[in-house]
Amino acid sequence: MIAIGLEGSANKLGVGVISHPPHGKPAQVLSNIRHTFVTPPGEGFLPKDTAKHHRTWVIKLVKQAMKQAGVTIKDIDCICYTKGPGMGAPLQSVAVAARMLSLLWQKDLVGVNHCVGHIEMGREITGAQNPVVLYVSGGNTQVIAYAEQRYRIFGEALDIAVGNCLDRFARTLEISNDPAPGYNIEQLAKKGKVLLDLPYAVKGMDCSFSGILASIDLLAAELKANPGQRDPVTGELITTADLCFSLQETVYAMLVEITERAMAHVGSNQVLIVGGVGCNERLQDMMGIMAKDRGGSVYATDERFAIDNGIMIAHAGLEAYKAGFRTPLEESTCTQRFRTDEVFVKWRD
Amino acid sequence: MASQFDPDFPCSLTIDLPLPTARLASAALQALRVDKELSPLVRRSFSTISTASSHKSGEPSLVSSSEETILRTEYKATTNRMLRVAVNGFMESLSVVLGVMEELDLDVLGMEHAD
Repeated sequence: MIAIGLEGSANKLGVGVISHPPHGKPAQVLSNIRHTFVTPPGEGFLPKDTAKHHRTWVIKLVKQAMKQAGVTIKDIDCICYTKGPGMGAPLQSVAVAARMLSLLWQKDLVGVNHCVGHIEMGREITGAQNPVVLYVSGGNTQVIAYAEQRYRIFGEALDIAVGNCLDRFARTLEISNDPAPGYNIEQLAKKGKVLLDLPYAVKGMDCSFSGILASIDLLAAELKANPGQRDPVTGELITTADLCFSLQETVYAMLVEITERAMAHVGSNQVLIVGGVGCNERLQDMMGIMAKDRGGSVYATDERFAIDNGIMIAHAGLEAYKAGFRTPLEESTCTQRFRTDEVFVKWRD
Repeated sequence: MASQFDPDFPCSLTIDLPLPTARLASAALQALRVDKELSPLVRRSFSTISTASSHKSGEPSLVSSSEETILRTEYKATTNRMLRVAVNGFMESLSVVLGVMEELDLDVLGMEHAD
C-alpha cells in the first residue's frame, strides 16, 4: 500500500510518499522532500509568515514528491496530514491542501499526531524493538514509553521545549538560522571549553528550561558588556562558544537523567531519540554513555527523518489506515494541542 | 445579495467565485468549510449556485447553465475590520484550493507523468 504524507506543524514543510509492501516487509521511502522557512538571524518564525511559506510551497512539493516517487494518483491509498500538535495557521494551511487532494483524488484522509509520526518513523528506520523514546525538538520535549496500545508520556518539559531554549539562545547570539539554529549552536559549542555555572532544573520525571534560558541570556548580556571576562578556574577568556557549550552540557545532562529514570521505571535499556534535537551528536554521545552503562544502546536517525518531514506522517498514517483508521472530511481539522497518548495505537499489540 | 441585513453583524460581503465545473465548486466548498471561523464576531456560510441563478435581471444573456459551478461565500461581521481580517484569511486558504485544482488535479498530474 502507498500513502502520501504532508507535514507543516512548524517551519518545515515536508511531503513524503511511502510504500508498505505486503507480508510485513520493511517500508520503502519513495520520496521525502522538505522545504524550511528560514528566518534572518535574531528572528524566530511567526505563525502568519510560516503559514504563508507553507501555502507558497505545498503544491510544488506535492508535485515533486509524486514525480520522484514515480507513482500515479491511482497508486495512492490515502492522504495523511499532520492534525497536530503544532502552530495553528501553518497546520491549517497544509490541511486545506490535504483536503483538496482527498476530494479531487477521491482518497481517504488520515489525520496524524506529529509526535506519533516521529516515533513510528524512528522505530521503522532503526529497527529498535521496544525502546524508551526521547522526543526532543523545538516544540516538544517528552520521554515516552509504549504500553498497551498507547505511547505514554513518562516525563516532559514543564514550560518550553529544549529545542525552543536552544533556538531562542541562537536568536540572542544572532547566529544564523540556516540550516537550523540548533545546528549552528552545536557547531559553536564544539569550540567551547569552559563549563559555566547554569541552573540544573530536573523535577522528578520532568524538566524545565525557561529558567536556564533566562540565565544563559543574562550571561550572554554580561559577556557582551564585558568581553574580557575570564574563567576564574582556568584563566581562559570566555567566549560565546563557551556559552553554547555550557548550555548544551547542562540541558543534555538533564535529558539523559530523565530518560534514565524512565528506563529504570520500565526496565528497558534501549533509547530511541527522535525529533530535530536528536540530530545533535553531543546529545547522542551523552545518551550513549548512559545507555552503555546500563548494558543497552541508543538509536537515532539522520536529519532526513529526525527533522520534521512528510514521510513520517505518511508512515504513521498508513499504519493507522491499515488498522482501519479514517479521518472523515468534516473531522479533518487541526489542533495546536494533541497529546501523544490520545492516539490509540491499534497497529501494535 | 442573497442574505438579509443582520443588525448584529452589519458589515457583510458576498464573494462569488466562478469555477469551470460543479465538481470543483463542490470540492472547494467542502474543503473550506471544515475550519470554523476563529472569531465569534464573524459569521460565514458557503454554498454553490448556478450561473443561471446568479444573473441579475436586465443583463445581456450569457451562456448559463443549471450546473452549480459558482462558489458563493457570504461573510458578515460586527465591524469592517473583523470582516476584512476574516475575508483576508479566506483568500489565503482559497489560494491553496485554487492551486491544487490548477496543478494537482487528476488530469493535470496524469498528463505530466505521461512524458
